[in-house]
Amino acid sequence: MVQNRQVYKAPMFPLWAVIAAVGIVLAIATYPFYGAAYVTSLLGKFLCFSIFALSIDLIWGFTGILSLGQGVYFGIGAYFTALSLKINYAAVNPTRYGGTIPDFMEWNGLTELPGFMVPLQNLPFAIIAGLFFATLLAFIFGVITFKRHIYGVYCAVITLAESLILQEAIIEYQAYTGGFNGITDYGTHAQINVLWLILVVTIIFFIIGRILTHSRIGTILKSIRDNDTRAEFMGYNVANYRIFVFCVSSFMAATAGAMYAAWNGIISFLDAGPVFSIEGVIWTAVGGRGTIIGPFIGAFLVKGSEYFLSGKLAWTWQLIMGALFIFVVLVMRDGIVGTIGKWWSARKKRISN
Amino acid sequence: MESIITQFLNGFSVVAILMIAAVGLAVIFGVAGVINMAHGEFIMVGAYTAAVVGQLGGNTFIAIPVAFLVVALLGLVVERSIIQWIYDRPLETLLATWGVGIILQVVMKLIFGPELYYVGAPKILDGGFRTIGLLPFPWYRLFLIVIAIIIMIITYFVLFRSDLGLKVRAVRRNRTMAGCLGIDTAKVDMIIFAFGSGLAGVAGAVLAPIKSVSTTMGFPYAVDSFMVLVLGGVGSLWGVVAGSGLIGEAETILSFIYNSVIGKLLVFIFIVLAIRVFPKGLFGYHERT
Amino acid sequence: MTNILEVKSLTTKVSGYTILNNLDFSIQENELRVVLGPNGAGKTTLIDMITGRYKPKSGKIIFNGEDITGMAPDKIFVRGVSRKFQVPNLYETLSVYDNIMVSLKGRRKVMKSLLGKVTKQDNNRIWEILDFIMLAEKAEDSVDTLGHGQRQWLELGMLVASEPKLLLLDEPTTGMTKDGKEKTAELIEKIALDHTVMLVEHDMDVVRQIAKNVTVLAQGQTLAEGPLSEVVENQEVKAVYLGKGVLDGT
Repeated sequence: MVQNRQVYKAPMFPLWAVIAAVGIVLAIATYPFYGAAYVTSLLGKFLCFSIFALSIDLIWGFTGILSLGQGVYFGIGAYFTALSLKINYAAVNPTRYGGTIPDFMEWNGLTELPGFMVPLQNLPFAIIAGLFFATLLAFIFGVITFKRHIYGVYCAVITLAESLILQEAIIEYQAYTGGFNGITDYGTHAQINVLWLILVVTIIFFIIGRILTHSRIGTILKSIRDNDTRAEFMGYNVANYRIFVFCVSSFMAATAGAMYAAWNGIISFLDAGPVFSIEGVIWTAVGGRGTIIGPFIGAFLVKGSEYFLSGKLAWTWQLIMGALFIFVVLVMRDGIVGTIGKWWSARKKRISN
Repeated sequence: MESIITQFLNGFSVVAILMIAAVGLAVIFGVAGVINMAHGEFIMVGAYTAAVVGQLGGNTFIAIPVAFLVVALLGLVVERSIIQWIYDRPLETLLATWGVGIILQVVMKLIFGPELYYVGAPKILDGGFRTIGLLPFPWYRLFLIVIAIIIMIITYFVLFRSDLGLKVRAVRRNRTMAGCLGIDTAKVDMIIFAFGSGLAGVAGAVLAPIKSVSTTMGFPYAVDSFMVLVLGGVGSLWGVVAGSGLIGEAETILSFIYNSVIGKLLVFIFIVLAIRVFPKGLFGYHERT
Repeated sequence: MTNILEVKSLTTKVSGYTILNNLDFSIQENELRVVLGPNGAGKTTLIDMITGRYKPKSGKIIFNGEDITGMAPDKIFVRGVSRKFQVPNLYETLSVYDNIMVSLKGRRKVMKSLLGKVTKQDNNRIWEILDFIMLAEKAEDSVDTLGHGQRQWLELGMLVASEPKLLLLDEPTTGMTKDGKEKTAELIEKIALDHTVMLVEHDMDVVRQIAKNVTVLAQGQTLAEGPLSEVVENQEVKAVYLGKGVLDGT
């Protein structure tokens, strides 16, 4: 028997990918020095969206649970951060009536900051609280549903309803959330160091995603996605793995939301709602689910074309979006990256034969 | 206390609306195992059909069969062109049908414009009667309750008392075996999808008079219907009745006591906890897999 | 010798039908036990109960001196019970190698697999098993390229990789050619050299090739038990199979 036989395993970080990634990162990081301000502001947003898509990919593409309410976690991260920024902004920039609390609170008859919001005056605390709360909610949700083997379409529609309820709650409790108008006008944080911060976090999350999916636990997650019954009868506590990934995913989504709120300077209930959540799923599907780079490409491509085409195309853009959903399901199941990957490995096989 | 009782009675019409909206979805999900995310838009198309019928001089009674046919045909087209290829991938069916919903919204907006449409109730159903507490109870609400019961009975006969129903239940219990016994399972799926869609159309037609008709009116009904399915299960039509009953009554009464958001939130929490106890819904059936 | 598995007056019902009726059943350590029985006798249900897929209505299942009745499947597995399904249950998008890799014994907890790596010993062990199930050449291929027989072997290999104390094999030769059946039977014999095995089997050729001790189930109860040669002569057993000619091998 020959010892030390190996199977081919793709490297964790292939050289070509590292070189390409460094190129893209440098291009984005230096873009504000020579590029248009409008495009810079889009770049920051798209990076947040790509993290959001990655978070969906981790739970859907690698673990097989379709969450149609990932916007809940993005929204929680965004609202905690935006509220904190707004409270701080209002404290030094009095409203028209001279108040030192956020204008939407004043419009709704509050005269001072509600007690439970006082801790949010501390920005780092608010951000951490948002991330913690989002992850905790994901954990509770995971324990309740995954432990009882509630997956598939049931899980999808429940998460969808979850985000619809959060959206309605945000609109209803406008004294605390800004309601229908969202939270606006809390100073500009779209500075180059914030862009760099977003970029660094994006890189870290994509590296974590790659390690998580390409190492031993990644193989286990895929095995659970492929056949959870077999995995369970092989001694894996399937629910625990899914809860773990769901928490990681929600943490990432909340982080993306927090950075988005700071960068964008305006957030609304839409950023927590079902439409945004499902849009994230389609970015992942277009880019290629079950791949790490797919969500990045999908978010930039779909969102990018939306910004540059929706103005020119008006309602046709909506129609294209609708058709895109059908197209990625019926025709291009593996998304862009997956399709290229399949083509590449088929070619390699042809050559080696 | 008296006002709670009034709310309880009002709740019946909410329950009826839920039942009407959810039964089409339940039939499709129960047989073919896919959830139609465009269900809300199918309801919306039914409502626009009623609006058109109204402008041509017809009333709700005429709109009901017309909307059934129009939306059943729509369902047939969607099933043949998209869903028949992806029955084995229920999660992706969600995404594809979401796309169908977006397209329907755009198309309807192009045809009918962005303005809201109002559809009047039939003359005969104008006004109302007084209930306990002397609060008015409109005839149209009573009509909704009657319609809900009629729809459930018709659906029951289609599914359990007809030749088609026998085939449908055979397919649901054991698809492979039914196929081996010479049942054209693809055809059963197709007919059921069209039938369920037609019911969504009827829902739209009867909801039009109590709701302004717009292209975005459907989504909340769709989500409510999903919740009815999750809670009630799809083992029998009693699941739809029980799911609608619990959700409708709880939401009406809780919304009255607190507000609609808290009502919805509490009901949602209740549903999530309930499926911990009954993972297949209240009326799920035991499968041997 | 001690009993590794004891099933005591196990009863279970599915939608009103009694599948197992007050069943008593036990397996000794290092035994190879073949369970026979006509369709609907409750063979697969018995495995479902032992592995925790369904909960029994009444009765007890003792494994290795511990009551495992009603435990979750993964908990029962960790105690040393591995099961093979009638239709091979594999991880379809993973390679053959990875299918074995995730089945290796130990490291089932989330945090442990988060930090765990595939060590040199793991790698050697995987290749050993791949050689054993005659799939070393296919190591890098995805599971969906395997033939039906090879799928069955891969699942056997996954069970062996998990180093169980008891293997429950549910008709591992279903749908195989004669040649494939013989090879599979050999494989099971080899596995049984150092494992306790309970084998549910329909095919009398396979049973004859490997069976020593046989239990016949009928209508959820034990009809006969003992060496194959004796059981075949049992009048009641013949009655159950009457007209089928299964036991004669015709």
